Amino acid sequence: MAIPFVESFRHSTNNRTTCDSVVVKVSDDTGIRGYGEGAPRPYVTGETPQSMLNHLANELWPAVAEREVPSVRSEGELGLLDGHIGPSIGGDHQASRAALELAILDCVLRRAGLSATQILPPRRDKVIYSGVLTAGKLDKTLALGKQMKLIGLNQIKIKVGLGDDLARVRAIRELFGPEASLRVDANGAWSYEEAKQMLEDLAALQIAAVEQPLRRGPVAELRQLHATSPLPLVVDESLVTMDDAEALIAERAADYFNIRVSKCGGLHRSLELARRATEAGIKVQVGSQAGETAILSAAGRLLAAAVEDLRFAEGSYGTLLLTEDVSFEAVRFGHRGLARPMRGPGLGVTVLEERLTAYARSVLELGRDGPLRS
Amino acid sequence: MDLRQEIESLYERHVAQFSDHEAFRSLEEGRTSEEDQDRFLANLVRTHLKSPQILAFLYSLAPPASADSLLHNMLEELGIDDSEGVSHPSLLRQLAEGAGLAPVLPELERLAEWDLRRITVDPLLYETLNEFGFAALCEVTAFEFMLSRLSSRIAGAFSQHRGLDDKTLLWFTLHSEVDIGHAEQGLDNLVHYAHYYDFDGARALTIIEMVMRENVFIKRYLGISGATSE
Repeated sequence: MAIPFVESFRHSTNNRTTCDSVVVKVSDDTGIRGYGEGAPRPYVTGETPQSMLNHLANELWPAVAEREVPSVRSEGELGLLDGHIGPSIGGDHQASRAALELAILDCVLRRAGLSATQILPPRRDKVIYSGVLTAGKLDKTLALGKQMKLIGLNQIKIKVGLGDDLARVRAIRELFGPEASLRVDANGAWSYEEAKQMLEDLAALQIAAVEQPLRRGPVAELRQLHATSPLPLVVDESLVTMDDAEALIAERAADYFNIRVSKCGGLHRSLELARRATEAGIKVQVGSQAGETAILSAAGRLLAAAVEDLRFAEGSYGTLLLTEDVSFEAVRFGHRGLARPMRGPGLGVTVLEERLTAYARSVLELGRDGPLRS
Repeated sequence: MDLRQEIESLYERHVAQFSDHEAFRSLEEGRTSEEDQDRFLANLVRTHLKSPQILAFLYSLAPPASADSLLHNMLEELGIDDSEGVSHPSLLRQLAEGAGLAPVLPELERLAEWDLRRITVDPLLYETLNEFGFAALCEVTAFEFMLSRLSSRIAGAFSQHRGLDDKTLLWFTLHSEVDIGHAEQGLDNLVHYAHYYDFDGARALTIIEMVMRENVFIKRYLGISGATSE
């Protein structure tokens, strides 16, 4: 896909101006369709849109095309669907798996006349979404901050790692006042020494958590930082697989897991990570992908509403970021970042084919025996 | 802060962005394909077909100082406030038909209806209706402002390069004539509204900046991203 953003989304490792998700549409033998989405992030899972298409076409789809899909009528059966897609190798190809899993799940649920909220009942009747302030010029960031304040967002994540971090955070704290929950996300931009100093400096600004202070690397280094940190630490790029989670838990290297459906390989794997986190006393943040469409937002909403202990949620920006979204329903959050579980059939959104067509950068059609056209 | 001046400056910048856009210049200079001309007209028709309904909503929220002008706008759109007796939506249909777009008119009506529905069903971003109303007034006034400056140029382009006649282009003519006055009144209405509903200048400007985060003229008429770059 190539849906333009209303304004660019920038953090320390990337500057994004369009949604470049891969949307997967599956059809069963009765013509019922399901839609899934994966957002490739080379610097997280090593995926690009093209590598996702290749992996879907050459590995994932051929393994499922000829087989009967398991029915999914309960949360427990989500694991069967994950198994149906096959094993994965480490943290590679997570977004591809997520896209296919969600598409098949959407299809299977619609075939059964079910909503995803029936197999994964929400534990909360509303999710509160955070605003995310990107790492652009400070005056623009503050203007955006004023807009977020106006619409009642009271949980804000600040992208940092571009050199003016402390001044930026101070200015944003001053804008939002002492009551707002502020956290920062460095996307791995700081060195160990920089991170140590920043954590000390940020402690005076009542920061709720600091995300990915170091680049994904040895967990021992993160453990060392965590041991002396005055602020809670969130892992994002360091948390892609269950193996990552176990290592982080064993080393006591984090206070929060940022679990994102696309990054973590789909809904089932995300739920498992959330469960393991809670078991280990680690708090859960349900994250998102900048520029995700309504499909991934709906999956994220499902996850955020269902996890036992949700501390922060991100996503569901919809047309606040995308110039146009792909669903009939608006998935965007409302005033104060509030959004309710989506209880429609399947994942809860009705995808508009004409929007997919209008914004498709390329289309690959796969049949039972391989590619039909591209 | 002079709110009226701030708003006018913002509108002027966006109008300039629109008229400087390659697609607009191409249209004006006759370099646009007929297909793209059709797309422009279809988008324009879709954008304004439900203007009476939007104005009715704005009239319902109007501060006393603006009530008469918003009522007048609405009645003019409906064609029942002046001797012309022509509703502006019917002029848009006339535009579409004169340009050979009659076959797509039902689809444009459906899309305009859907756009209106979305306004009602989308989750509210603002805390109260008066902020939402201000946002809507901002966008309507922005279009009046733009049309008062560019309507004749657009009509001229379609007359010269597409051969559309005066009757087909009447919406532009009528709209440009009324919109000069409406544009000025519109800026005043925004100030009246902000004052009546106790918005301070900064809050009013924040709402306007949210509405105009992307260039609404580029987005709606050209059907492409109106994203502003840093």
